[in-house]
Amino acid sequence: MTASIRLSDSLKNLLGSEGLFTIEAGHSVREAIVSLGINPDLVAVVSVGDEMQSKDYLIQEGDTVRLLAVIGGG
Amino acid sequence: MNGYAGKILRVNLTTGTFTKEPTPADVARDFIGGRGFGIYFLLKEVPKGADPLGPENKLIISSGPISGMMIPGGGKCDWTTKAPLTGGYAGASMGGHFTAEMRYAGLDSIILEGISPKPVYLFIDNDRIELRDASGLWGKATFEVEKQFKEKLGEEYQIATIGPGGENMVSYACINHDYGRQAGRGGVGAVMGSKKVKAIVLHGTKSIPVADMQAYRKAGMALYKACKDAEGLKEWIRYGTTTVVDWCNQVGALPTRNFSAGSFEGAEGIYGKTMREKIVITDKGCFGCPSPCGKYSRSKKYNSYVEGPEYETIGLMGSNLGIDDIEVVAQANLLCDDLGIDTISAGNSIGWAMECYQKGIFTKKDTDGLDLKFGNVEAIFTLIGKIARKEGFGVLLGEGVKRASKKIGQGTEKFAIHVKGMEQSAYATHNATAMLLAYMTCDVGAHHNRSWAITYDLQVGRDLVVPEKVARVIWLQNFRPMFDVIGGCRLQWVELSIDRDLYVPALEAITGIHRSWEDLEKVGDRIWNMTRMFWARENDGFGREWDLPPARFYEDAPTTGATKGQITKLEDVNRLLDMYYEQRGWDSNGLPTLETIENLGLEAVVA
Repeated sequence: MTASIRLSDSLKNLLGSEGLFTIEAGHSVREAIVSLGINPDLVAVVSVGDEMQSKDYLIQEGDTVRLLAVIGGG
Repeated sequence: MNGYAGKILRVNLTTGTFTKEPTPADVARDFIGGRGFGIYFLLKEVPKGADPLGPENKLIISSGPISGMMIPGGGKCDWTTKAPLTGGYAGASMGGHFTAEMRYAGLDSIILEGISPKPVYLFIDNDRIELRDASGLWGKATFEVEKQFKEKLGEEYQIATIGPGGENMVSYACINHDYGRQAGRGGVGAVMGSKKVKAIVLHGTKSIPVADMQAYRKAGMALYKACKDAEGLKEWIRYGTTTVVDWCNQVGALPTRNFSAGSFEGAEGIYGKTMREKIVITDKGCFGCPSPCGKYSRSKKYNSYVEGPEYETIGLMGSNLGIDDIEVVAQANLLCDDLGIDTISAGNSIGWAMECYQKGIFTKKDTDGLDLKFGNVEAIFTLIGKIARKEGFGVLLGEGVKRASKKIGQGTEKFAIHVKGMEQSAYATHNATAMLLAYMTCDVGAHHNRSWAITYDLQVGRDLVVPEKVARVIWLQNFRPMFDVIGGCRLQWVELSIDRDLYVPALEAITGIHRSWEDLEKVGDRIWNMTRMFWARENDGFGREWDLPPARFYEDAPTTGATKGQITKLEDVNRLLDMYYEQRGWDSNGLPTLETIENLGLEAVVA
């Protein structure tokens, strides 16, 4: 029952973090973000497959959850 | 001169004559191009006190060394002028394909001078340059003008045109290109309209000399590879700038009902996800772009097509007006683009009018019978037309919120959301002190693209007022606009987070001059100070008071949403300015000191 979280380059740079994490499925994205020690406000976009999801999305087994920061605006 | 098309074209509209002069090597060395060229020529050639809409003002269109080159984002040009909206500096960046074609026609800059006695368009095909009669185009909207030129001349011609907004010299008229790209802010379209220039139509087939072709190819490919490999590219292409609507709503940065709050209860209807599902039909990029942020949309409700909307328009024409339907936003976007007015200033001006109406300051007697409640779709569409055509109530709103609120009084100045007369773009800054400072000190007025710092606010503490935040804002102001100087788009760095050092060998290979980012930031610092000196020269009493934000952000805390009850104290606003001026080397009134001017080597430029 695992899933993976991938951070965009923008978020990796912002956090000075590695980019790939394996997590337990069944939690919300928000819970997963917090468990990784990331401030949820810094995550601008949650993407699963091709679709944007909210931070309340429940992570399913095998999901690859991609997290993006916005560091620069327009 | 490597990296330059080699010529600057001056068009004297009063006499109908042209002059081509070599691009000055010393100006290229010191100011590189783009907005660097723009402020150099503006300061040097537009006399103090010139009427922005008079013959002494100039409209300066400049490319940079990477414009039109095979470098990601090399499709940007800068439009500099004395702004009719603010009376200060305007430097509007425009994407698309215009700048590449301009360079292929052998031109680094085009400078429009004087005023034509009749409507004309400027036709350029390599060395063939003509002013042609535009009487038959005057009065037409931008899409029709562009369509006519493309049908008549061919797809290879690139067109920049004004609509009725520019012809009528609306203070925030824009210039439209490629059916959906704009030189948007400050009223550059009004200046073009004042000169009776309906359009610039150009095509070229020349080459741009490159210092080291092999190194250029290698550096260009390295940049493209970095974009292609970037984690986040897929999402960026899918949603473009609309990625942030949801997030801004969550963190209280989404302008809502004239910036009275930063979160909107109907935001889901204007989210990027909603837009992609409901109206987007394809992606659209500018010249040489590997990560197209433009979205081409179709509204079934209005049976219309439009490029966009992008985030700023969603914020200002959506939540800021109480609109929760992305199709309405898309239609408002289309009307503004077609009529040639800036969506940001227009959305802000209508939002201000709606708040006045809600407070009973305006009644239907004032608004030409329009029921200006927030969320009234038909009233918004009608007002866009009235603003662009300068009809009835639209005349007042077309002046921008600073002048309009001064005329109306009754405390409406307190919720006129602008800095230095430019309406604030789509980030609510009730409690985001770095972003607030970025708006306060931006060189054109309350615009976001010079320094964007909301994520930094959230990272370090949004209400903190510390020197490090100020330093961050200044660094961004010196660094980010350099993309507008070199003629490129910042979004590959901004959103894909590619290594900015990859641009250094590319710029060196093209121009033959090595410039580190430290060198480039010094140029950025010089340009920033020059724009400040222009403001001071053109406005008696210019100084600290001009940098203050709208009172809403220090007096009027939101009563709903993520920033409910949150505000930035006025004393913190002033502390931010104190620290900013000190770090910039400016005096306590916000003017560069003699020492700073000397340190930057600007004595001759600002004399």
